Amino acid sequence: MGQEKFENQKKQWEQEVEKATARFPERKGSFHTSSDISVERLYLPENPDENYAENLGFPGQYPYTRGIQPTMYRSRFWTMRQYAGFGSAKETNKRFRYLLEQGQTGLSVAFDLPTQIGYDSDDPMAEGEVGKVGVAIDSLKDMEDLFDSIPLDQVSTSMTINAPASVLLAMYIAVGEKQGVPKEKLTGTIQNDILKEYIARGTYIFPPKPSMRLITNIFEYCQQHVPKFNTISISGYHIREAGSTAVQEVAFTLANGMAYVDAALESGLKVDQFAPRLAFFFNAHNNFFEEIAKFRAARRIWAKIMKEHYGAENPKSWKLRFHTQTGGSTLTAQQPDNNIVRVTLQALAAVLGGTQSLHTNSRDEALALPTEESARIALRTQQIIAHESGVADTVDPLGGSYYIEELTNQIEKEVEAYIEKIKEFGGAVQAIEEGYMQREIHQSAYEAQKRIESKEDIVVGMNEFQVDEELNAELLRVDEQLEYDQKKNVQNVRNTRDESKVNDKLNSLRNAARDEKENLMPHILEAVKAYATVGEICNVLREEFGEYTGM
Amino acid sequence: MDRKIRVLIAKPGLDGHDRGALVIAQALRDHGMEVIYTGLRQSPGQIAQAAIQEDVDVIGLSSLSGAHRTLFPKVISALKEQNAEDIPVIGGGVIPYEDIPYLEEQGIQKVFTPGTPTEVIAQYIKQLVDPSASDVTEPPEKIAHIGIAVKNIDDVMSFYHDLLGLKLKGFEEVPSEGVKVAFFEIGETSIELLEPLNEESPIHKYIEKRGEGIHHIALEVKDIEDRLKHYKDQDVPLIHETPKDGAHNSKIAFLHPKAANGVLYELCEHKEE
Repeated sequence: MGQEKFENQKKQWEQEVEKATARFPERKGSFHTSSDISVERLYLPENPDENYAENLGFPGQYPYTRGIQPTMYRSRFWTMRQYAGFGSAKETNKRFRYLLEQGQTGLSVAFDLPTQIGYDSDDPMAEGEVGKVGVAIDSLKDMEDLFDSIPLDQVSTSMTINAPASVLLAMYIAVGEKQGVPKEKLTGTIQNDILKEYIARGTYIFPPKPSMRLITNIFEYCQQHVPKFNTISISGYHIREAGSTAVQEVAFTLANGMAYVDAALESGLKVDQFAPRLAFFFNAHNNFFEEIAKFRAARRIWAKIMKEHYGAENPKSWKLRFHTQTGGSTLTAQQPDNNIVRVTLQALAAVLGGTQSLHTNSRDEALALPTEESARIALRTQQIIAHESGVADTVDPLGGSYYIEELTNQIEKEVEAYIEKIKEFGGAVQAIEEGYMQREIHQSAYEAQKRIESKEDIVVGMNEFQVDEELNAELLRVDEQLEYDQKKNVQNVRNTRDESKVNDKLNSLRNAARDEKENLMPHILEAVKAYATVGEICNVLREEFGEYTGM
Repeated sequence: MDRKIRVLIAKPGLDGHDRGALVIAQALRDHGMEVIYTGLRQSPGQIAQAAIQEDVDVIGLSSLSGAHRTLFPKVISALKEQNAEDIPVIGGGVIPYEDIPYLEEQGIQKVFTPGTPTEVIAQYIKQLVDPSASDVTEPPEKIAHIGIAVKNIDDVMSFYHDLLGLKLKGFEEVPSEGVKVAFFEIGETSIELLEPLNEESPIHKYIEKRGEGIHHIALEVKDIEDRLKHYKDQDVPLIHETPKDGAHNSKIAFLHPKAANGVLYELCEHKEE
């Protein structure tokens, strides 16, 4: 019986390969090793059984354990997407153009903390933080500078923005309009994942309920007007950075994913309307095989959740598509060049796990924001894996490994146990409000620290194999002058815009906020176009929604 | 000390990364301190206010966003404005080494960079809060060795080495004490056989007076000098008030047997290699 199912799956896969390669031909007519041994598209068990057909199947087929596309990287490599942004919009624009020239295929915007928490650069709360961890965006003017000479119909842009995601997305749409690019053609991703902000990352503004409303408003608006945009990137990355284990990373992320699906369904959307635009974002740490198994398990669990639990019918709703970033917290300030090796291992795990896009960290990130040279090495690391290692020449090369498959099964089991536990709380939102996930992560983080201090875990160069070193590498500094300049910029914008129009649009936003049935996106877009600032828009919503103040 | 050390762990600015802050808070609690964590997004004024209200002994700041150059000194000035500049402030996070001198100039007592063991931070805080009592309050870590006086090491070797089967760590002559010693490893400690080199040796005198047998117990300690001072302050009778060189690159000092009902105790501190 397994055999028959297997043969059917195989036939279907072959058809899908044909369709896919017609659209995206494979990179080469045929693939070979250095010894001219032919490399097949996919390797399969000699005696497939029921278990294989059920749990592994074929790439591009439910439950997607072996990958979400039929040919994976034989057709196209993953998207190499380096997160960048610092200082002013103009400076970041230069870095973006440099990265595009270097062969990067997508943009990823880092915003500074005031932007992420909805404060203008001249707000007293923003002091000392302007332009530090990303680019400062106050008004549409800054967004225009950020994408100057970058045609938005030719790049896909990922924006790490959560609480004010609606505002920054509106600005992106507005810049597109000015460039003559219709909304329907915009591609990219907003992070828009507020739940992990409460759990791990900290850039929340509003309480959970209105935050979830903003998110479902975006789902609904984009489904109608910006259909190619990924409306959320449900992120385990920060959960892992906060100290969770690999299992907790997947479990809490998928639990959050379910909370978004529940919220969208509750607001009246149909699952197949928005689920195909859900994307995920995971971490890649050092424990090589566990990481690979983690990605494979996550795909399988999500597919089952979407198909069996939510009854989604569109296969696109079943597919867990994800971006990966290598693990910032695994990098050491000591002997920073060693970090290049760590990043290589982590990036390789992400590729072997079937990631759709990848950011490789720079070696100096434990010390400061990366320099141009470090950022280039990080990108080159991906390019070497893609072009020189040959790991992309066959789909899921580790599939069928006893170890990998067993790890995949074990992770799946443990993740499901966590998800059950979270269901008992009443879902992710409730579990977060009760501090459950935060406590679990904190416990894991503390245990990891103790293992390092007792040398049960060795971190090369940090608690073993140390050298006396001068730590004065060349580091990127953000000029303190920038904060001053950016404050003046935002004040200039306020002095030159049509103030009554701004007030008008902010008022209509306020009224919309009071009506729970109203979608806020069109109102935010109007306010943005009138050059209302991120801070002004968020302050209106703060007044209406209140602020979240932590546990 | 009756009162527990009180520490305020604070996150100035908008940075949301609090893994480090939380881990350090937990580690300091495990070291017996009372730790108050402010939560995220605290202004320098709020941090100073909390430090005063909570009557803390030290403030630990954490920042990973690059805002430390602005925000850390602001905490110092906020403390000054509220006449609380006597509360020492330490910091950590993602802080480039080249910024450390500037921060220290601005009044930050000490900056800990990534990878610092929490143990080091805890010890630093103890020292900072009470310089005289820091390590001295820690009990000795273990028995470093048990000293046994013998007339001739060669005569007893077969008992320890052949019969008990203990591993011989080595021989050493300590001219300052007029002894030749042999060390046998046993668990995490050792047995030290002491043979007098001449008639001036205290071991010679000991054997003359009391015969061969257990001579002393040595305790492994940290900061031997401070500890001796501390004991002296408490009128503990000492044979050595300052440490002298012992075997294996250690520093040693003997307490007087009167201090412990006739038992001779040695303190010894081994330098890290």
